[in-house]
Amino acid sequence: MGHDSQIPEAGDFLRTYMGEDDVIVVRGEDGEVRAFLNACSHRGNKVCHAEWGKTKAFTCSYHGWAYDNMGELAAVPLEEAIYDNLDRSKLGLVPVARVQNYKGMIFGTFAEEGPDLEEYLGDMKYYLDVVLDASPEGMELIGTPFRVEIRGNWKLPVENAIGDGYHVAWAHAGAMRVVGTIGQGRGESVLGIGKDNTGFDDSGQMQVAIPPHTVLSTLDGQSGYALYDNPGPCIEYLEQVRPSVVERLGDVRGTQLLGSETHMGVFPNLQIIQGLNLLRVIHPKGPGSFEVATYSMADKNTPDEVKDIIVKHVGQTFGSAGILEGDDGDFTEAITHSPNGYATRQMKGWLGMAQGRTMDWDGPGDASPGIVNELCQREFYTQWQRTMLAESVSDILPEQSAQKESANG
Amino acid sequence: MAKKQKIAAVGKDTNMETAYRIERFLAAEARTLDEERYDDWLAMLDESIVYKMPIPMNTYRRNRPGKSSIRETMIYDESFEKLKQRAAREDTGMVWLNDPATHHIRTITNIESFCTDDASVYDVRSKFTLLRSRRDKDHVSHTGLRKDLIQDTNDGLKIVARTVFLPERVIVDKNLNMFF
Repeated sequence: MGHDSQIPEAGDFLRTYMGEDDVIVVRGEDGEVRAFLNACSHRGNKVCHAEWGKTKAFTCSYHGWAYDNMGELAAVPLEEAIYDNLDRSKLGLVPVARVQNYKGMIFGTFAEEGPDLEEYLGDMKYYLDVVLDASPEGMELIGTPFRVEIRGNWKLPVENAIGDGYHVAWAHAGAMRVVGTIGQGRGESVLGIGKDNTGFDDSGQMQVAIPPHTVLSTLDGQSGYALYDNPGPCIEYLEQVRPSVVERLGDVRGTQLLGSETHMGVFPNLQIIQGLNLLRVIHPKGPGSFEVATYSMADKNTPDEVKDIIVKHVGQTFGSAGILEGDDGDFTEAITHSPNGYATRQMKGWLGMAQGRTMDWDGPGDASPGIVNELCQREFYTQWQRTMLAESVSDILPEQSAQKESANG
Repeated sequence: MAKKQKIAAVGKDTNMETAYRIERFLAAEARTLDEERYDDWLAMLDESIVYKMPIPMNTYRRNRPGKSSIRETMIYDESFEKLKQRAAREDTGMVWLNDPATHHIRTITNIESFCTDDASVYDVRSKFTLLRSRRDKDHVSHTGLRKDLIQDTNDGLKIVARTVFLPERVIVDKNLNMFF
Protein backbone atom coordinates (compact mmCIF):
# COMPACT_ATOMS: atom_id res chain seq x y z
CA MET A 1 0.00 0.00 0.00
CA GLY A 2 2.85 2.36 0.65
CA HIS A 3 6.01 3.06 2.58
CA ASP A 4 6.72 4.76 5.91
CA SER A 5 8.84 7.39 4.14
CA GLN A 6 5.74 8.67 2.37
CA ILE A 7 3.79 9.34 5.55
CA PRO A 8 6.35 10.09 8.30
CA GLU A 9 4.23 12.44 10.44
CA ALA A 10 0.86 12.33 12.17
CA GLY A 11 -1.85 13.26 9.69
CA ASP A 12 0.19 12.32 6.60
CA PHE A 13 -1.88 10.24 4.23
CA LEU A 14 -1.87 8.77 0.75
CA ARG A 15 -4.47 7.09 -1.37
CA THR A 16 -3.98 3.83 -3.19
CA TYR A 17 -5.96 0.84 -4.39
CA MET A 18 -6.42 -2.72 -3.17
CA GLY A 19 -7.85 -4.38 -6.22
CA GLU A 20 -10.48 -1.88 -7.29
CA ASP A 21 -11.15 -0.66 -3.77
CA ASP A 22 -10.06 2.91 -3.16
CA VAL A 23 -8.07 2.97 0.08
CA ILE A 24 -6.70 5.75 2.32
CA VAL A 25 -3.49 4.96 4.21
CA VAL A 26 -2.99 7.43 7.05
CA ARG A 27 -0.76 7.98 10.06
CA GLY A 28 -3.11 8.94 12.87
CA GLU A 29 -2.54 11.52 15.61
CA ASP A 30 -1.32 8.60 17.74
CA GLY A 31 1.41 7.76 15.21
CA GLU A 32 -0.15 4.48 14.11
CA VAL A 33 -0.60 3.70 10.42
CA ARG A 34 -4.10 2.55 9.49
CA ALA A 35 -5.93 2.03 6.24
CA PHE A 36 -9.61 2.57 5.43
CA LEU A 37 -11.97 2.24 2.53
CA ASN A 38 -12.38 5.64 0.96
CA ALA A 39 -16.15 5.63 1.38
CA CYS A 40 -18.40 7.61 3.71
CA SER A 41 -20.44 5.46 6.14
CA HIS A 42 -23.53 7.50 5.26
CA ARG A 43 -23.90 7.13 1.48
CA GLY A 44 -20.57 5.81 0.25
CA ASN A 45 -19.22 8.96 -1.38
CA LYS A 46 -15.44 9.28 -1.28
CA VAL A 47 -14.21 11.16 1.77
CA CYS A 48 -10.91 12.06 0.14
CA HIS A 49 -10.14 13.09 -3.42
CA ALA A 50 -6.55 14.19 -2.89
CA GLU A 51 -3.82 11.75 -3.82
CA TRP A 52 -1.72 12.52 -0.75
CA GLY A 53 -1.28 15.20 1.87
CA LYS A 54 -1.59 15.99 5.54
CA THR A 55 -4.88 16.38 7.37
CA LYS A 56 -6.63 16.14 10.70
CA ALA A 57 -9.92 15.17 9.08
CA PHE A 58 -11.44 13.57 6.02
CA THR A 59 -14.67 15.35 5.23
CA CYS A 60 -17.25 13.93 2.86
CA SER A 61 -18.16 16.43 0.15
CA TYR A 62 -21.82 15.25 0.06
CA HIS A 63 -23.25 16.02 3.53
CA GLY A 64 -20.14 17.02 5.43
CA TRP A 65 -19.61 14.00 7.66
CA ALA A 66 -16.08 14.33 9.01
CA TYR A 67 -13.73 11.55 10.12
CA ASP A 68 -10.56 12.09 12.11
CA ASN A 69 -7.25 10.72 10.91
CA MET A 70 -7.75 7.60 13.03
CA GLY A 71 -10.95 6.81 11.14
CA GLU A 72 -13.48 7.77 13.82
CA LEU A 73 -16.60 9.66 12.78
CA ALA A 74 -15.89 12.96 14.53
CA ALA A 75 -18.63 15.28 13.36
CA VAL A 76 -22.02 15.10 11.64
CA PRO A 77 -23.64 18.39 10.58
CA LEU A 78 -26.91 19.14 12.44
CA GLU A 79 -26.42 15.89 14.35
CA GLU A 80 -28.51 16.75 17.42
CA ALA A 81 -31.32 18.34 15.47
CA ILE A 82 -31.89 15.61 12.89
CA TYR A 83 -30.77 12.31 14.40
CA ASP A 84 -32.20 10.50 17.41
CA ASN A 85 -30.37 7.25 16.94
CA LEU A 86 -26.99 7.94 15.43
CA ASP A 87 -24.10 6.22 17.19
CA ARG A 88 -20.98 7.87 15.81
CA SER A 89 -18.74 5.26 17.45
CA LYS A 90 -20.18 2.63 15.10
CA LEU A 91 -19.95 4.69 11.95
CA GLY A 92 -16.23 5.19 11.53
CA LEU A 93 -14.50 4.55 8.22
CA VAL A 94 -14.32 0.84 7.36
CA PRO A 95 -10.81 -0.34 8.23
CA VAL A 96 -8.68 -2.64 6.09
CA ALA A 97 -8.72 -5.80 8.20
CA ARG A 98 -4.98 -6.10 8.71
CA VAL A 99 -2.26 -3.52 8.06
CA GLN A 100 1.26 -4.75 8.68
CA ASN A 101 4.70 -3.33 8.12
CA TYR A 102 7.88 -5.03 6.99
CA LYS A 103 10.93 -2.77 7.33
CA GLY A 104 9.01 0.30 6.21
CA MET A 105 6.83 -1.33 3.56
CA ILE A 106 3.16 -1.12 4.44
CA PHE A 107 0.98 -4.04 3.36
CA GLY A 108 -2.73 -4.59 3.84
CA THR A 109 -5.23 -7.40 3.49
CA PHE A 110 -9.01 -7.57 3.69
CA ALA A 111 -8.68 -11.09 5.11
CA GLU A 112 -9.34 -11.27 8.85
CA GLU A 113 -7.59 -14.62 8.97
CA GLY A 114 -4.81 -16.33 7.09
CA PRO A 115 -1.05 -15.92 7.19
CA ASP A 116 0.52 -12.86 8.80
CA LEU A 117 2.73 -10.67 6.65
CA GLU A 118 6.01 -12.16 7.87
CA GLU A 119 4.76 -15.67 7.30
CA TYR A 120 3.44 -14.70 3.89
CA LEU A 121 6.76 -13.15 2.86
CA GLY A 122 8.67 -16.12 4.25
CA ASP A 123 12.11 -16.59 2.71
CA MET A 124 11.45 -13.68 0.39
CA LYS A 125 12.58 -11.50 3.28
CA TYR A 126 16.13 -12.74 2.64
CA TYR A 127 16.02 -11.01 -0.76
CA LEU A 128 13.90 -8.01 0.18
CA ASP A 129 16.42 -7.11 2.86
CA VAL A 130 19.02 -6.33 0.17
CA VAL A 131 16.85 -3.33 -0.67
CA LEU A 132 15.03 -2.70 2.62
CA ASP A 133 17.79 -3.38 5.11
CA ALA A 134 21.09 -2.57 3.42
CA SER A 135 21.60 0.17 6.00
CA PRO A 136 20.05 0.88 9.41
CA GLU A 137 18.04 3.73 7.84
CA GLY A 138 16.59 1.52 5.14
CA MET A 139 14.92 2.33 1.84
CA GLU A 140 12.70 5.24 0.85
CA LEU A 141 10.36 5.86 -2.06
CA ILE A 142 11.07 9.11 -3.86
CA GLY A 143 8.56 11.39 -5.51
CA THR A 144 5.06 10.97 -6.82
CA PRO A 145 4.45 7.74 -8.73
CA PHE A 146 4.09 7.59 -12.48
CA ARG A 147 0.62 6.24 -13.20
CA VAL A 148 -0.44 4.73 -16.50
CA GLU A 149 -3.59 2.81 -17.33
CA ILE A 150 -3.38 0.16 -20.01
CA ARG A 151 -6.07 -1.97 -21.59
CA GLY A 152 -4.62 -5.31 -20.72
CA ASN A 153 -4.84 -8.02 -18.10
CA TRP A 154 -3.01 -7.19 -14.86
CA LYS A 155 -1.12 -10.48 -14.75
CA LEU A 156 0.82 -9.73 -17.94
CA PRO A 157 2.82 -6.72 -16.72
CA VAL A 158 3.55 -8.57 -13.47
CA GLU A 159 5.09 -11.66 -15.03
CA ASN A 160 6.79 -9.52 -17.66
CA ALA A 161 8.59 -7.52 -14.97
CA ILE A 162 9.43 -10.36 -12.61
CA GLY A 163 10.58 -12.94 -15.08
CA ASP A 164 10.74 -12.14 -18.76
CA GLY A 165 14.45 -11.73 -19.36
CA TYR A 166 13.88 -13.07 -22.87
CA HIS A 167 12.06 -10.05 -24.30
CA VAL A 168 14.48 -7.37 -23.16
CA ALA A 169 16.89 -7.32 -26.08
CA TRP A 170 14.20 -7.79 -28.73
CA ALA A 171 11.05 -6.00 -27.56
CA HIS A 172 13.12 -3.04 -26.38
CA ALA A 173 15.67 -3.25 -29.21
CA GLY A 174 15.23 0.38 -30.24
CA ALA A 175 15.79 1.66 -26.71
CA MET A 176 18.56 -0.82 -25.94
CA ARG A 177 20.51 0.52 -28.91
CA VAL A 178 20.60 4.02 -27.50
CA VAL A 179 20.75 3.74 -23.69
CA GLY A 180 23.35 2.64 -21.22
CA THR A 181 26.05 0.14 -21.85
CA ILE A 182 25.28 -0.66 -25.48
CA GLY A 183 24.16 2.82 -26.43
CA GLN A 184 27.39 4.29 -25.13
CA GLY A 185 29.47 1.57 -26.74
CA ARG A 186 30.69 0.37 -23.35
CA GLY A 187 29.91 -3.29 -23.91
CA GLU A 188 28.98 -5.86 -26.48
CA SER A 189 26.62 -7.69 -24.23
CA VAL A 190 24.24 -6.58 -21.54
CA LEU A 191 22.15 -8.64 -19.16
CA GLY A 192 23.44 -11.82 -20.73
CA ILE A 193 22.39 -11.05 -24.27
CA GLY A 194 24.60 -9.88 -27.11
CA LYS A 195 24.25 -6.59 -28.90
CA ASP A 196 22.28 -7.92 -31.85
CA ASN A 197 20.08 -10.18 -29.78
CA THR A 198 22.55 -12.92 -30.53
CA GLY A 199 24.71 -14.90 -28.20
CA PHE A 200 23.60 -15.92 -24.79
CA ASP A 201 25.40 -16.39 -21.55
CA ASP A 202 23.53 -17.79 -18.59
CA SER A 203 26.52 -18.19 -16.35
CA GLY A 204 26.31 -16.31 -13.09
CA GLN A 205 22.67 -15.40 -13.46
CA MET A 206 19.55 -16.97 -12.10
CA GLN A 207 15.85 -17.08 -11.53
CA VAL A 208 14.71 -18.36 -8.13
CA ALA A 209 11.36 -19.64 -6.98
CA ILE A 210 10.60 -18.82 -3.37
CA PRO A 211 6.93 -19.76 -3.63
CA PRO A 212 4.72 -17.79 -3.80
CA HIS A 213 7.38 -15.19 -4.65
CA THR A 214 10.17 -14.98 -7.21
CA VAL A 215 13.55 -13.37 -7.80
CA LEU A 216 15.58 -12.86 -10.95
CA SER A 217 19.16 -11.66 -10.57
CA THR A 218 22.32 -11.20 -12.61
CA LEU A 219 24.45 -11.96 -9.52
CA ASP A 220 27.42 -9.90 -10.75
CA GLY A 221 27.00 -7.08 -8.22
CA GLN A 222 26.99 -4.21 -10.75
CA SER A 223 24.89 -4.75 -13.85
CA GLY A 224 21.86 -3.13 -12.22
CA TYR A 225 23.37 0.02 -13.62
CA ALA A 226 23.88 -1.35 -17.14
CA LEU A 227 21.09 0.78 -18.59
CA TYR A 228 22.34 4.01 -17.02
CA ASP A 229 24.09 6.48 -19.28
CA ASN A 230 25.99 7.88 -16.33
CA PRO A 231 26.43 5.02 -13.85
CA GLY A 232 29.74 6.30 -12.42
CA PRO A 233 28.48 8.04 -9.26
CA CYS A 234 26.00 5.18 -8.60
CA ILE A 235 28.66 2.49 -8.84
CA GLU A 236 31.10 4.56 -6.80
CA TYR A 237 28.51 4.83 -4.02
CA LEU A 238 27.64 1.16 -4.37
CA GLU A 239 31.25 0.10 -3.87
CA GLN A 240 31.61 2.54 -1.00
CA VAL A 241 28.76 0.91 0.93
CA ARG A 242 29.42 -2.68 -0.15
CA PRO A 243 31.74 -3.58 2.77
CA SER A 244 29.13 -2.48 5.31
CA VAL A 245 26.41 -4.39 3.47
CA VAL A 246 28.56 -7.52 3.40
CA GLU A 247 29.02 -7.13 7.13
CA ARG A 248 25.30 -6.57 7.62
CA LEU A 249 23.81 -9.15 5.27
CA GLY A 250 26.64 -11.57 4.57
CA ASP A 251 28.75 -12.34 1.56
CA VAL A 252 26.14 -13.80 -0.77
CA ARG A 253 23.82 -10.84 -0.53
CA GLY A 254 26.54 -8.21 -0.19
CA THR A 255 28.61 -9.28 -3.17
CA GLN A 256 26.26 -11.19 -5.48
CA LEU A 257 22.89 -9.54 -5.03
CA LEU A 258 23.69 -5.94 -4.05
CA GLY A 259 24.06 -3.91 -7.25
CA SER A 260 22.92 -6.70 -9.55
CA GLU A 261 19.91 -6.28 -11.78
CA THR A 262 17.52 -7.98 -9.39
CA HIS A 263 13.77 -8.24 -9.91
CA MET A 264 11.81 -9.27 -6.84
CA GLY A 265 8.23 -10.31 -7.36
CA VAL A 266 6.08 -10.30 -4.24
CA PHE A 267 2.91 -12.12 -5.17
CA PRO A 268 0.56 -10.90 -6.44
CA ASN A 269 1.26 -7.42 -7.72
CA LEU A 270 4.39 -5.85 -6.21
CA GLN A 271 7.71 -5.66 -8.03
CA ILE A 272 10.86 -4.30 -6.44
CA ILE A 273 13.58 -3.86 -9.01
CA GLN A 274 17.05 -3.16 -7.73
CA GLY A 275 19.48 -1.55 -10.14
CA LEU A 276 16.82 0.21 -12.13
CA ASN A 277 15.80 1.20 -8.60
CA LEU A 278 12.09 1.26 -9.11
CA LEU A 279 9.14 -0.17 -7.30
CA ARG A 280 5.94 -0.94 -9.14
CA VAL A 281 2.47 -1.94 -8.10
CA ILE A 282 0.01 -3.23 -10.68
CA HIS A 283 -3.60 -2.41 -9.79
CA PRO A 284 -6.20 -4.53 -11.63
CA LYS A 285 -9.10 -2.51 -13.07
CA GLY A 286 -11.38 -5.32 -14.15
CA PRO A 287 -10.32 -8.17 -16.44
CA GLY A 288 -9.27 -5.96 -19.35
CA SER A 289 -7.49 -3.06 -17.75
CA PHE A 290 -4.84 -2.25 -15.15
CA GLU A 291 -2.97 0.69 -13.71
CA VAL A 292 0.79 0.69 -13.21
CA ALA A 293 2.15 2.84 -10.39
CA THR A 294 5.93 3.26 -10.62
CA TYR A 295 8.07 4.82 -7.87
CA SER A 296 11.76 5.60 -7.67
CA MET A 297 13.50 4.07 -4.66
CA ALA A 298 16.86 4.38 -2.95
CA ASP A 299 18.50 3.71 0.35
CA LYS A 300 17.87 6.76 2.55
CA ASN A 301 21.60 7.36 2.96
CA THR A 302 22.17 7.66 -0.77
CA PRO A 303 23.75 11.05 -1.58
CA ASP A 304 21.35 13.52 -3.25
CA GLU A 305 23.50 13.56 -6.39
CA VAL A 306 23.02 9.79 -6.81
CA LYS A 307 19.32 9.98 -5.94
CA ASP A 308 18.87 12.58 -8.68
CA ILE A 309 20.52 10.27 -11.22
CA ILE A 310 18.25 7.43 -10.11
CA VAL A 311 15.05 9.48 -10.24
CA LYS A 312 15.86 10.81 -13.71
CA HIS A 313 16.81 7.35 -14.91
CA VAL A 314 13.55 5.83 -13.69
CA GLY A 315 11.62 8.55 -15.52
CA GLN A 316 13.59 8.15 -18.71
CA THR A 317 13.35 4.36 -18.82
CA PHE A 318 10.18 3.24 -17.03
CA GLY A 319 8.18 6.41 -16.30
CA SER A 320 5.04 7.41 -18.20
CA ALA A 321 7.28 8.50 -21.08
CA GLY A 322 9.99 5.93 -20.40
CA ILE A 323 11.67 4.74 -23.55
CA LEU A 324 11.51 1.11 -22.44
CA GLU A 325 8.18 1.16 -20.62
CA GLY A 326 6.33 2.19 -23.75
CA ASP A 327 7.14 -0.98 -25.64
CA ASP A 328 5.56 -3.38 -23.16
CA GLY A 329 2.02 -2.01 -23.17
CA ASP A 330 1.64 -2.90 -26.81
CA PHE A 331 1.93 -6.66 -26.56
CA THR A 332 0.20 -6.67 -23.17
CA GLU A 333 -2.82 -5.18 -24.90
CA ALA A 334 -2.63 -7.59 -27.85
CA ILE A 335 -2.20 -10.71 -25.70
CA THR A 336 -5.23 -9.68 -23.66
CA HIS A 337 -7.53 -9.01 -26.58
CA SER A 338 -6.42 -11.54 -29.23
CA PRO A 339 -8.45 -14.25 -27.46
CA ASN A 340 -11.63 -12.25 -28.02
CA GLY A 341 -11.81 -14.42 -31.14
CA TYR A 342 -13.20 -17.89 -30.48
CA ALA A 343 -10.58 -19.81 -32.44
CA THR A 344 -7.68 -17.82 -31.01
CA ARG A 345 -9.08 -18.48 -27.56
CA GLN A 346 -8.52 -22.21 -28.05
CA MET A 347 -4.77 -21.69 -28.26
CA LYS A 348 -2.48 -22.43 -25.35
CA GLY A 349 0.50 -20.23 -24.65
CA TRP A 350 3.78 -21.84 -23.78
CA LEU A 351 6.13 -21.09 -20.89
CA GLY A 352 8.44 -24.09 -21.00
CA MET A 353 11.81 -22.42 -21.12
CA ALA A 354 14.53 -23.90 -18.90
CA GLN A 355 12.07 -26.25 -17.26
CA GLY A 356 14.01 -28.76 -15.19
CA ARG A 357 17.29 -26.85 -15.34
CA THR A 358 18.62 -26.35 -11.85
CA MET A 359 21.69 -24.81 -10.30
CA ASP A 360 23.35 -24.60 -6.92
CA TRP A 361 22.59 -21.42 -5.06
CA ASP A 362 23.53 -20.47 -1.53
CA GLY A 363 20.38 -18.48 -0.81
CA PRO A 364 16.86 -19.79 -0.13
CA GLY A 365 14.61 -21.08 -2.90
CA ASP A 366 15.02 -23.28 -5.95
CA ALA A 367 17.31 -21.67 -8.50
CA SER A 368 17.56 -22.15 -12.23
CA PRO A 369 20.38 -20.72 -14.37
CA GLY A 370 20.02 -17.63 -16.54
CA ILE A 371 17.72 -14.64 -16.42
CA VAL A 372 16.48 -15.67 -19.85
CA ASN A 373 14.33 -18.32 -18.27
CA GLU A 374 10.62 -18.73 -17.60
CA LEU A 375 10.79 -20.13 -14.08
CA CYS A 376 9.48 -16.96 -12.41
CA GLN A 377 6.58 -16.69 -14.84
CA ARG A 378 5.60 -20.34 -14.28
CA GLU A 379 5.76 -19.80 -10.53
CA PHE A 380 3.58 -16.72 -10.80
CA TYR A 381 0.82 -18.50 -12.74
CA THR A 382 1.09 -21.56 -10.50
CA GLN A 383 0.51 -19.36 -7.47
CA TRP A 384 -2.32 -17.52 -9.20
CA GLN A 385 -4.02 -20.83 -9.89
CA ARG A 386 -3.39 -22.01 -6.34
CA THR A 387 -4.94 -18.82 -5.00
CA MET A 388 -7.99 -19.02 -7.23
CA LEU A 389 -8.59 -22.66 -6.33
CA ALA A 390 -7.96 -22.21 -2.61
CA GLU A 391 -10.95 -22.97 -0.42
CA SER A 392 -9.80 -20.60 2.31
CA VAL A 393 -7.10 -18.00 2.89
CA SER A 394 -5.22 -20.62 4.87
CA ASP A 395 -4.67 -22.54 1.64
CA ILE A 396 -3.07 -19.82 -0.46
CA LEU A 397 0.49 -20.58 0.57
CA PRO A 398 2.21 -23.58 -1.02
CA GLU A 399 3.28 -26.48 1.16
CA GLN A 400 6.56 -25.54 2.80
CA SER A 401 9.38 -27.41 1.12
CA ALA A 402 12.31 -28.35 3.30
CA GLN A 403 14.24 -25.19 4.15
CA LYS A 404 17.54 -25.06 2.39
CA GLU A 405 20.57 -24.29 4.43
CA SER A 406 21.95 -20.92 3.52
CA ALA A 407 25.65 -20.47 3.86
CA ASN A 408 25.60 -16.83 4.85
CA GLY A 409 22.50 -16.34 6.91
CA MET B 1 -15.70 53.05 -26.19
CA ALA B 2 -15.11 49.64 -24.80
CA LYS B 3 -13.86 49.54 -21.25
CA LYS B 4 -10.16 48.78 -21.08
CA GLN B 5 -9.78 45.06 -20.29
CA LYS B 6 -7.27 43.97 -17.71
CA ILE B 7 -5.38 40.99 -19.06
CA ALA B 8 -3.24 38.75 -16.89
CA ALA B 9 0.24 39.97 -17.61
CA VAL B 10 3.13 37.68 -18.42
CA GLY B 11 5.15 40.49 -19.96
CA LYS B 12 4.94 43.09 -22.65
CA ASP B 13 3.73 41.79 -26.00
CA THR B 14 6.43 41.34 -28.60
CA ASN B 15 6.04 43.37 -31.75
CA MET B 16 3.78 41.96 -34.44
CA GLU B 17 6.55 40.81 -36.72
CA THR B 18 8.20 38.83 -33.95
CA ALA B 19 4.86 37.36 -32.89
CA TYR B 20 4.27 36.29 -36.47
CA ARG B 21 7.73 34.72 -36.78
CA ILE B 22 7.17 32.80 -33.54
CA GLU B 23 3.79 31.49 -34.71
CA ARG B 24 5.33 30.33 -37.98
CA PHE B 25 8.22 28.76 -36.06
CA LEU B 26 5.93 26.76 -33.75
CA ALA B 27 3.80 25.60 -36.69
CA ALA B 28 6.92 24.51 -38.54
CA GLU B 29 8.17 22.73 -35.44
CA ALA B 30 4.90 20.81 -35.14
CA ARG B 31 5.01 19.83 -38.80
CA THR B 32 8.65 18.74 -38.53
CA LEU B 33 7.73 16.40 -35.67
CA ASP B 34 4.58 15.14 -37.44
CA GLU B 35 6.83 14.24 -40.38
CA GLU B 36 9.29 12.39 -38.09
CA ARG B 37 12.17 14.66 -39.14
CA TYR B 38 13.93 14.45 -35.80
CA ASP B 39 17.32 15.82 -36.88
CA ASP B 40 15.59 18.90 -38.27
CA TRP B 41 13.66 19.22 -35.02
CA LEU B 42 16.81 18.97 -32.89
CA ALA B 43 18.25 21.83 -34.96
CA MET B 44 15.37 24.02 -33.72
CA LEU B 45 16.50 23.55 -30.12
CA ASP B 46 19.24 25.34 -28.27
CA GLU B 47 21.77 22.82 -26.99
CA SER B 48 21.29 24.11 -23.46
CA ILE B 49 17.58 23.29 -23.62
CA VAL B 50 15.76 22.26 -20.45
CA TYR B 51 12.70 20.19 -21.41
CA LYS B 52 10.28 19.26 -18.65
CA MET B 53 6.87 17.76 -18.07
CA PRO B 54 5.81 17.56 -14.41
CA ILE B 55 3.22 15.15 -13.05
CA PRO B 56 0.08 17.11 -12.09
CA MET B 57 -0.23 17.29 -8.30
CA ASN B 58 -3.68 16.19 -7.19
CA THR B 59 -3.38 17.45 -3.65
CA TYR B 60 -5.71 19.68 -1.65
CA ARG B 61 -5.13 23.37 -2.29
CA ARG B 62 -4.30 23.89 1.40
CA ASN B 63 -1.66 21.17 1.34
CA ARG B 64 1.97 22.02 0.86
CA PRO B 65 4.74 19.46 0.57
CA GLY B 66 5.83 18.55 4.10
CA LYS B 67 8.54 16.22 5.31
CA SER B 68 7.20 13.27 3.37
CA SER B 69 9.35 11.81 0.59
CA ILE B 70 6.52 12.51 -1.85
CA ARG B 71 7.46 15.43 -4.05
CA GLU B 72 7.09 16.71 -7.56
CA THR B 73 8.21 14.21 -10.16
CA MET B 74 8.91 14.79 -13.83
CA ILE B 75 7.58 12.70 -16.69
CA TYR B 76 10.11 14.46 -18.90
CA ASP B 77 13.26 16.01 -17.42
CA GLU B 78 15.55 16.12 -20.39
CA SER B 79 18.72 17.74 -21.59
CA PHE B 80 19.58 18.11 -25.29
CA GLU B 81 21.55 14.85 -25.10
CA LYS B 82 18.54 12.96 -23.73
CA LEU B 83 16.24 14.37 -26.39
CA LYS B 84 18.80 13.31 -28.99
CA GLN B 85 18.78 9.84 -27.47
CA ARG B 86 14.99 9.63 -27.71
CA ALA B 87 15.14 10.80 -31.31
CA ALA B 88 17.85 8.25 -32.07
CA ARG B 89 15.64 5.49 -30.70
CA GLU B 90 12.87 6.47 -33.10
CA ASP B 91 15.38 6.29 -35.94
CA THR B 92 16.75 2.82 -35.12
CA GLY B 93 13.98 1.18 -37.12
CA MET B 94 13.60 -1.20 -34.17
CA VAL B 95 10.68 0.39 -32.35
CA TRP B 96 8.16 -2.24 -33.39
CA LEU B 97 5.24 -0.20 -32.10
CA ASN B 98 5.93 2.38 -34.81
CA ASP B 99 6.06 0.03 -37.78
CA PRO B 100 3.59 0.38 -39.47
CA ALA B 101 4.09 4.03 -38.66
CA THR B 102 2.31 5.79 -35.84
CA HIS B 103 0.73 8.99 -37.13
CA HIS B 104 0.99 12.14 -35.06
CA ILE B 105 -0.96 15.31 -35.74
CA ARG B 106 -0.07 18.32 -33.62
CA THR B 107 -2.33 21.34 -33.47
CA ILE B 108 -0.72 24.37 -31.82
CA THR B 109 -2.93 27.26 -30.86
CA ASN B 110 -3.47 30.19 -28.42
CA ILE B 111 0.09 31.31 -29.12
CA GLU B 112 1.08 34.36 -27.04
CA SER B 113 4.51 35.95 -27.34
CA PHE B 114 5.90 38.18 -24.60
CA CYS B 115 9.13 40.08 -24.08
CA THR B 116 11.51 39.17 -21.26
CA ASP B 117 14.34 41.04 -19.55
CA ASP B 118 16.64 39.66 -22.23
CA ALA B 119 15.75 41.40 -25.50
CA SER B 120 16.66 38.32 -27.53
CA VAL B 121 14.52 35.90 -25.48
CA TYR B 122 10.73 35.61 -25.70
CA ASP B 123 8.35 33.99 -23.24
CA VAL B 124 5.92 32.06 -25.44
CA ARG B 125 2.76 30.37 -24.24
CA SER B 126 0.78 27.96 -26.38
CA LYS B 127 -1.79 25.19 -26.17
CA PHE B 128 -1.68 21.96 -28.10
CA THR B 129 -3.63 18.91 -29.07
CA LEU B 130 -1.53 15.93 -30.04
CA LEU B 131 -3.45 13.17 -31.77
CA ARG B 132 -1.60 9.92 -32.18
CA SER B 133 -3.09 7.19 -34.24
CA ARG B 134 -1.84 3.77 -35.21
CA ARG B 135 -3.17 0.59 -36.76
CA ASP B 136 -6.96 0.10 -36.87
CA LYS B 137 -8.37 1.98 -33.92
CA ASP B 138 -5.52 2.86 -31.57
CA HIS B 139 -6.21 6.61 -31.32
CA VAL B 140 -5.41 8.82 -28.36
CA SER B 141 -5.60 12.58 -28.11
CA HIS B 142 -3.60 14.56 -25.56
CA THR B 143 -4.32 18.21 -24.83
CA GLY B 144 -2.14 20.49 -22.77
CA LEU B 145 -0.20 23.71 -22.62
CA ARG B 146 3.40 24.76 -23.02
CA LYS B 147 5.58 27.52 -21.65
CA ASP B 148 8.57 28.10 -23.88
CA LEU B 149 11.56 30.39 -23.81
CA ILE B 150 12.55 31.05 -27.39
CA GLN B 151 15.74 32.86 -28.35
CA ASP B 152 16.46 34.91 -31.43
CA THR B 153 19.88 33.83 -32.68
CA ASN B 154 21.95 34.42 -35.82
CA ASP B 155 20.80 30.94 -36.78
CA GLY B 156 17.10 31.73 -36.41
CA LEU B 157 14.76 31.04 -33.48
CA LYS B 158 15.78 28.32 -31.00
CA ILE B 159 13.88 26.82 -28.09
CA VAL B 160 15.87 27.35 -24.90
CA ALA B 161 13.36 25.95 -22.41
CA ARG B 162 10.05 24.13 -22.63
CA THR B 163 7.75 23.11 -19.82
CA VAL B 164 4.82 20.99 -20.92
CA PHE B 165 1.79 20.70 -18.69
CA LEU B 166 -0.36 17.71 -19.53
CA PRO B 167 -3.33 17.67 -17.15
CA GLU B 168 -3.71 13.86 -17.06
CA ARG B 169 -2.83 12.37 -13.69
CA VAL B 170 -3.25 8.81 -14.90
CA ILE B 171 -1.98 8.54 -18.44
CA VAL B 172 -4.51 6.50 -20.39
CA ASP B 173 -2.16 5.58 -23.18
CA LYS B 174 0.50 2.93 -23.64
CA ASN B 175 3.20 5.57 -23.42
CA LEU B 176 4.06 9.17 -23.98
CA ASN B 177 6.96 8.40 -26.30
CA MET B 178 6.29 11.49 -28.39
CA PHE B 179 7.63 15.00 -28.40
CA PHE B 180 5.25 17.68 -27.16
